[in-house]
Amino acid sequence: MKGFVRNMKPLDVLTGEQIEQIHSATLHVLRKTGVRFDSKRALQLFEKNGCMVDHDTNRVRFPEGLVEECLRRAPSRFHVRARNPNNDMVWGGNTIYFQALSGTRTVDLDTWEPRTPTRKEYYDAVTVLDGLGHVAIVPWYTPWFGFKHIPPVMAMPEGLAARLRNTSKFTCAGYSMGCEVFNIQMAQAVGAELRTMMAASPPLTFYEETIDAAFRIVEAGFVLLPTSGCVYGGTAPATIAGSLVSGNAEIIAGLVFAQLVRPGTRVIAQDFSFPQNMRTGAPAFGSIEISLHQAAFNQIWHSYGIPTDGGVCYPNSKKIDYQAGYEKAIIAAIGALSGTNTLWIQGAMYGELAFHPVQAVIDDDIAGMLGRFLEGIHVNDETLAVKVIDEVGPIPGHYLNQPHTRKWWKQEQFIPSASDRLTHSEWLKQGKKDCIEIAKERCEAICNTHKVDPPLTESQEQDLERILKEAREHYRKKELLSAIEWEEYQKDLASPGYPYS
Amino acid sequence: MTAEQKGIIDNLRKAIFEYNVDLAQESAKEAVEKGIDPIEALNAMTVAIKEIGDAFGKGELWLPDLVGASDAMQGATPVLEDEMKRRGVHRESLGVVVAGTVFGDIHSIGKTMVTTLLTAAGYRVEDLGVNVKAEVFIEAIKKHGADMLAMSALMTTTMTEQEKVIDALKKEGIRERVKVMIGGAAVTDEFAEEIGADGYDPTAPGAVELARKLLEKQ
Repeated sequence: MKGFVRNMKPLDVLTGEQIEQIHSATLHVLRKTGVRFDSKRALQLFEKNGCMVDHDTNRVRFPEGLVEECLRRAPSRFHVRARNPNNDMVWGGNTIYFQALSGTRTVDLDTWEPRTPTRKEYYDAVTVLDGLGHVAIVPWYTPWFGFKHIPPVMAMPEGLAARLRNTSKFTCAGYSMGCEVFNIQMAQAVGAELRTMMAASPPLTFYEETIDAAFRIVEAGFVLLPTSGCVYGGTAPATIAGSLVSGNAEIIAGLVFAQLVRPGTRVIAQDFSFPQNMRTGAPAFGSIEISLHQAAFNQIWHSYGIPTDGGVCYPNSKKIDYQAGYEKAIIAAIGALSGTNTLWIQGAMYGELAFHPVQAVIDDDIAGMLGRFLEGIHVNDETLAVKVIDEVGPIPGHYLNQPHTRKWWKQEQFIPSASDRLTHSEWLKQGKKDCIEIAKERCEAICNTHKVDPPLTESQEQDLERILKEAREHYRKKELLSAIEWEEYQKDLASPGYPYS
Repeated sequence: MTAEQKGIIDNLRKAIFEYNVDLAQESAKEAVEKGIDPIEALNAMTVAIKEIGDAFGKGELWLPDLVGASDAMQGATPVLEDEMKRRGVHRESLGVVVAGTVFGDIHSIGKTMVTTLLTAAGYRVEDLGVNVKAEVFIEAIKKHGADMLAMSALMTTTMTEQEKVIDALKKEGIRERVKVMIGGAAVTDEFAEEIGADGYDPTAPGAVELARKLLEKQ
């Protein structure tokens, strides 16, 4: 998978001195305040490696030396394997990859009301993401958290199965109720690696379920994404600097954990934090402070030499509209310019609450535009074009008929797929279509023509079904799947179009 | 046709697809030397141009491709037309179109797009270039027995020149002999009607459609 290479200095929002101040404040918090880990196994591991552990409060206090050493141990650049080797990536350095951004439900494009997607919509949306040129990663919960008739405990394994079937791009899986056990098996069955998050519950806490899942992911040799979903003013200090300190303390604690479980574990640090909307209590998606936070985050973590996932482009708008456009574009541009290695953009609508493939098609153009910008200006004898300028000369000379033009224009210009670029009169004659209507058509075309490359083999398909069956039985035995849920689920499983519709 | 002659025809087509003016000229000369029917040679290139034009219409190819192919075609055409004159033969066409950008305006791109696609569609196009005065249009219409005049003007300051050309056609008494199609960024349907043109279309593929409709009515 080709990423975009940033051929310019990153945007720096902090001075070297400010980075140092934030870093030493973070070390202070890790040493003095510490982080709560609700896991006996983890506490023992930390204690064995020189941390101060209070077993009554589950508080772990980290010595500076250990933190610095673990930051050094984590690789600064690494390879990740997708189902199709052509979609493998190298994370780190100046490269950026774009990834789809999920939502819980789909949205009706006429009424803008949310509703649960169907199995077919889920699989089709994965196909759209597989068909979009700038989607490199189809992460957890993507496109949606689940679909109709699927019991909540099976939403993640069913979602991962859909992604493994309908895309061969790099994918990820979350954790909940131990489902990572089945997720790991499914990925291994198709020869793919997974990235899984280790999400702190701010402030300064990791629950047992999270830690158990992180043990499993790290022991499987997969990629860990320690993250802090802090909300500044709510679960972190209201100041951007303060929330960077508490959020980074959480992420560093996760990173130290990973390096102690398995030295050299591939880690990508994520900034998934937002200001608190002080009226509604929800995260203030789409706000400009997110960009300040993410830019500072990217700068700090690059100073540690750790790849970053510091560009989460959630809009606050409930529609695909002007507000969604500016919120997404501004957050994406600043995340990309400040050097994030992966950036979430395609598909998400209001916060995490909605996703639509039509939005993903439009966002894919934002990704392409930014990627083109980051690649910068190539200056060499051929691009300076002195010879061609001399040959063409003044009027009546022009450049449209020059081989130099034919060779270079497509490398120099990004051509969007959903933007309206017609002249005004053409636009009138062609039905006054806007980018949403163009994106709808493109979405439909991808669904009708795009084929995943390669599809799963018959034996891989059998393995997935076997693992899904084991998961269903496991959750029934554990009584996490009720009789009513099971009845509805079985009807879905008996559908003639299973698993695709 | 011998294998050698077939190879020359293939090269003419190749020249269009590769936008290679030199290859087009050399192959046209070779075609004449080896006794290939110049009409057949022109038809082969027209078919190739049509493929380029269709791909452009579908959005698969772009302006530099269209202009490149058109340049290659224009590289070969004079050689083959000379041979046609020498043999005293004429090429069947859907109609003869005299085209150009009006006096005071040197914008050639839109006009070139239209003339290329008209050629591709099977019309014989006499492209007079840019900055063309009314009397030059009139002379060309008479000389080539044109069925249609296609005029272009990009700027608001020069689009009124199109009206002057139409008035001149009337004065010469040849307005009824030709259909008049106009184009340019500032032009609208209303303007076309106001100045007494027969039609306008904002796109090059649309202009070909318009030409077909206007000339069919005759």
